[in-house]
Amino acid sequence: MSNFLNQDFGSDDEDDEFNPGPVDESEGEDSKPAKSSRRGADSSDNVKNEGDPDEDDAKDVVDDEEQDEEDEEDEDEDAEDDDEAVEARPRKRRRGPLNPFIDEEAGVDEEEDEAEDDEDELAEFGTEMHPDDLDQLPAGAETDDRRHRQLDRQRELDATMDAEKQAQLLKERYGRNRAAATDALVIPKRLLLPSVEDPSIWGARCKPGKEREVVYSIQKRIEERPAGSRNPIRIISAFERGHLMQGWFYCEARRQADVIEGLEGINFYYPSQKMTLVPVKEMPDLLKVQKSEELMPGGWVRIKRGRYQGDLAQIEEVETNGLNVTVRLVPRLDYGMNDDAAAMMGPDAKRKRGAMNTIRPPQRLFNESEAKKKHAKYLSATSGLGGKSWSYLNDTYIDGFLIKDMRVQHLITKNVNPRLEEVTMFARGGEDGTANLDLASLAETLKNSTAEDSYQPGDPVEVYRGEQQGLIGRTVSTRGDIVSLQVTEGDLAGQTIDAPVRTLRKRFREGDHVKVIGGSRYQNELGMVVQVKDDTVTLLSDMSMQEITVFSKDLRLSAEMGADGQLGIYDVHDLVQLDAATVACVIKVDRESLRVVDQNGSLRNVLPTQIANKIEPRRDAVATDRNGAEIRNGDTVREVYGEQRTGVIRHIHRSYLFLHNKAQAENAGISVVRTTNVVTVSARGGRPTGPDLTKLNPALNMQAPGGGRGAAMPPPSRGRDPLLGKTVAVRKGRYKGLVGIVRDADDKNAQVELYTVNKPVQIDRNILTPKDPITKQNLDSGRGRGRGGGGAGGSRVPYGSGAPSGAPGWSGGRTPMTAADSSRTPAWGGAAASRTPAWGGMSGSRTPAWKNDGSRTSNPYEAGNRTAYGGIGNRTPAWNSGSRTPYDSGSGYDAFASGTRTPAWGGASANTGNRTPAWGGLSNGRDQRDFDDAPTPGGGYSAPTPGAYAAPTPGASAPTPGAWPDSAPTPGAFNAPTPGGMPKRGGYDAPTPAAYDAPTPAMGGAAATPGAGYGDDDGGPRYDEGTPSP
Amino acid sequence: MFFLKEETKIISLHPSYFGPNMRDYLVARLNEEEEGRCTGDHFVICVMDMVDIGEGRVIPSSGNAEYTIKYRAIIWKPFRGETVDAVVTSVKPTGIFTLAGPLSVFIARKNIPGDIKWEPNTVPPQYTDHADQVIEKGTSLRLKILGVKPDVAAINAIGTIKEDYLGPL
Repeated sequence: MSNFLNQDFGSDDEDDEFNPGPVDESEGEDSKPAKSSRRGADSSDNVKNEGDPDEDDAKDVVDDEEQDEEDEEDEDEDAEDDDEAVEARPRKRRRGPLNPFIDEEAGVDEEEDEAEDDEDELAEFGTEMHPDDLDQLPAGAETDDRRHRQLDRQRELDATMDAEKQAQLLKERYGRNRAAATDALVIPKRLLLPSVEDPSIWGARCKPGKEREVVYSIQKRIEERPAGSRNPIRIISAFERGHLMQGWFYCEARRQADVIEGLEGINFYYPSQKMTLVPVKEMPDLLKVQKSEELMPGGWVRIKRGRYQGDLAQIEEVETNGLNVTVRLVPRLDYGMNDDAAAMMGPDAKRKRGAMNTIRPPQRLFNESEAKKKHAKYLSATSGLGGKSWSYLNDTYIDGFLIKDMRVQHLITKNVNPRLEEVTMFARGGEDGTANLDLASLAETLKNSTAEDSYQPGDPVEVYRGEQQGLIGRTVSTRGDIVSLQVTEGDLAGQTIDAPVRTLRKRFREGDHVKVIGGSRYQNELGMVVQVKDDTVTLLSDMSMQEITVFSKDLRLSAEMGADGQLGIYDVHDLVQLDAATVACVIKVDRESLRVVDQNGSLRNVLPTQIANKIEPRRDAVATDRNGAEIRNGDTVREVYGEQRTGVIRHIHRSYLFLHNKAQAENAGISVVRTTNVVTVSARGGRPTGPDLTKLNPALNMQAPGGGRGAAMPPPSRGRDPLLGKTVAVRKGRYKGLVGIVRDADDKNAQVELYTVNKPVQIDRNILTPKDPITKQNLDSGRGRGRGGGGAGGSRVPYGSGAPSGAPGWSGGRTPMTAADSSRTPAWGGAAASRTPAWGGMSGSRTPAWKNDGSRTSNPYEAGNRTAYGGIGNRTPAWNSGSRTPYDSGSGYDAFASGTRTPAWGGASANTGNRTPAWGGLSNGRDQRDFDDAPTPGGGYSAPTPGAYAAPTPGASAPTPGAWPDSAPTPGAFNAPTPGGMPKRGGYDAPTPAAYDAPTPAMGGAAATPGAGYGDDDGGPRYDEGTPSP
Repeated sequence: MFFLKEETKIISLHPSYFGPNMRDYLVARLNEEEEGRCTGDHFVICVMDMVDIGEGRVIPSSGNAEYTIKYRAIIWKPFRGETVDAVVTSVKPTGIFTLAGPLSVFIARKNIPGDIKWEPNTVPPQYTDHADQVIEKGTSLRLKILGVKPDVAAINAIGTIKEDYLGPL
């Protein structure tokens, strides 16, 4: 035993001896002194080795490392040998002259016994060589054959030794320090970490990819020039980290100078680049070994490239070398279906093949009958064990799956994240896919890939294995793989414990509203949990009412309501324009595409890019059903013919309705019908039209049974008719243009004594225009009013006055209400029903505004038969403006006039004297244009011209007690001063007092349309719709 | 579960209603607007009485008057786990749609006992165990609410009949 050891040392010596350094060379051929001196050094080295365990320890660590590397190196040995062959050419040359017939072993043995023999032998061999050859030999060359012999000898020894002894030997040789280490099993790891006392590690640069070679050559050099030799390499160890640190290798040494010296002349080493000292702290990291991913049969991987790029594959078998893997794939085959196309392309086919290959056949299990159709010659059956297998196009298919050998490099082994639907394809024979699938094992695979962020604070979780199995809680925080959870149930309730992610699963209860967050094609689907079974949760999609089974890790409690995901701007149930003639309703949003049902009811998948635009829902879209009833969005309708589907109208597009029915599973509940094929089942409660004043206003309701407003509305006639005694001109009829004095008047006609004809004639009072008896100017209402008899003039509200003038231009400006009453405005209409109270009721019909003396009119409130409403209505701003201005200015109430004039008034009076624009328009036709323009979209209210508007500003209407002693308390009076109403009028006039001139009795009587009465909250369009209805 | 709940509602009244019958009108309006309403959390079944109508307040700029009305109403809030009787409104391969009063409850196929099978060939289609249990449109069911999903102005629920004493009545 010790003998062997000795031999070992001896051989080491040989090594030393026959690895003379350059110094030896220079000393000459005589090796003996060198050898003896080296011997001395060697022994001292031994001593040193024993006395310096520190260094040995450190070296040992690295040794381990190196040994590992050497293991791998063995695999590459062949290649290495080739390399060495290049380096060691002289050796080969040397080998040539050796006599192959001489038993070298014998010689070695001799040498082993006697040092002298050694010399002899050397001499003997030396003499066998040609002296010239010897000269040409490089340094150390003569040792070569010895080393060979030595190796052989050692191998032989090893072979002859029995294993036990060998083990003991090895243990004795290397185990010394190890033994110490094993004794100190209890030594904490941190004590083993390097400190500043330990040798430093320098990182040096080399050619990328050649790190290992550099390390080998350093190793070799250390062997050649060990410590204790004349020129020892003082590098304690060298290592590299392969691809992790490409272009770097690391040397352990006491001083940097040692490294620099030791690396001198090493191939691929870049001495010009500075080497860096690795900080002590980072040393352990440098040597940390990451366990390489272990592939297990049954695990899941993905293919990196080729036809199956990205496809999921199951590992069937892993070869022992860990480099080759047999995987099972779902084939993508076209069975030569596209060959024709390729052939037709002719010579260009090759060039275009790239493009051809982009069409990837879908994943389908192998089908031999399809393969037989075109590719029978490539198909051959082989009966394997278990299932029948096919060989097709040099690939093997078993049970429909492709079995393929692949290299590990071509597989993605990390973060595979197999999705359930992918995995189900691998379930053999399962009808519904999941039957034969071992979900538990799949979950296991998935568990490893569980992303940290899949647990968020607040998620309900359950520990389902490990010591704390069965704990239920909510996550508090996540750190890496550890999740802190607060226990919510059981004895530990309230405590916070940590658990590894892999022992957790999310916990859901039936009825929870959840959202699918990832890992499946149901991403972003919302639904309610209907079943929980271990790790799989079945939920009922809100949208499709379909049951979906996913892993609980892919779910999260959802507070969202309504539709599921969006794709860009498109949401489920949105209406989109596909092309000029086609619209469609989105019924499903996938990750990249949308599923839509178009107006013809056909389904298609479209990409967002194929959509022209999204049609914003029109709130006021309206259509008529089969019976002519109005239908709108939100109404429930039923199909008359066909499937008699019912649904709530989601969209109205031309004559198509998109209905939504929650109870319908297909198409997300959307169906398309034509408007002519539906009847209304129920209209959505309350159209968005604001308060229905015609219906709800008690005053109006009261009038309705009275059979026409004319009877009910006119206030009792009291006092003197304002027209009496006035000078009037006749605007129409056979007396047109003539002037006279009113002798008598009733509510309809006036008896006029014409200047020309000396007899009184009965003339419709509506066609009379009051005139100034002297100037023959048209009187404005104000003046007339001032005299108490000017009611006719004053009552001309802009629209009222327009009608009598009969100017063609004016007719355009007629309010819809007047249109209803032939050409007359209600105010002027002869029919009692159409008259405004002011006119219809004779004296009683005076609007409150007209009751300047107040005493003659009953307070509308008191009277009861006049509603506040009516009162308000009569005094439209226009009225006020029309009636008052002239009065103010003409009657000489300067103070009042100035006070009341709004800026608009000022402007008006500047132009036309005292006349408001409204009046101007009446008196001279030029201004009628203004009136024509006047009708605002607000529904043909001609009144609200700016001038007219301005009139009822607080200033104007704030009837100073002096000027309007009595009008102040009338509803009209206080109606006017609400300044808020005016600015609002254009947009939303319903609630403003101004708006209520629409339902004045006058108007109500004329048009009596609900639309006219109240239909003004939508502004113009709404109004327009309303009016034609009667 | 039914509750008697005191609630508050603000009703805005147009000036044209100002008058002697205002109170009646407010009551009518409250009943009309509240009864049968679904808040997304519960259904208002019936307005019992007014606790306090309060004084109206005229809103500047509009002239409307606002009344803050306190009233008591019977409400129904469906709970998970509650057992209710419902009427089948439609029967689909995916499950059964039912109405429990105002609440629509869906019973998924998974929550129908295994022996009650989908039978599409009958008219009308039905779920049946080919014995005494037949579920078709109009059938009365006793079911247990599994989950309630509040929506803006509706409540959707899912239920189960896969337990003892549940199923067609």
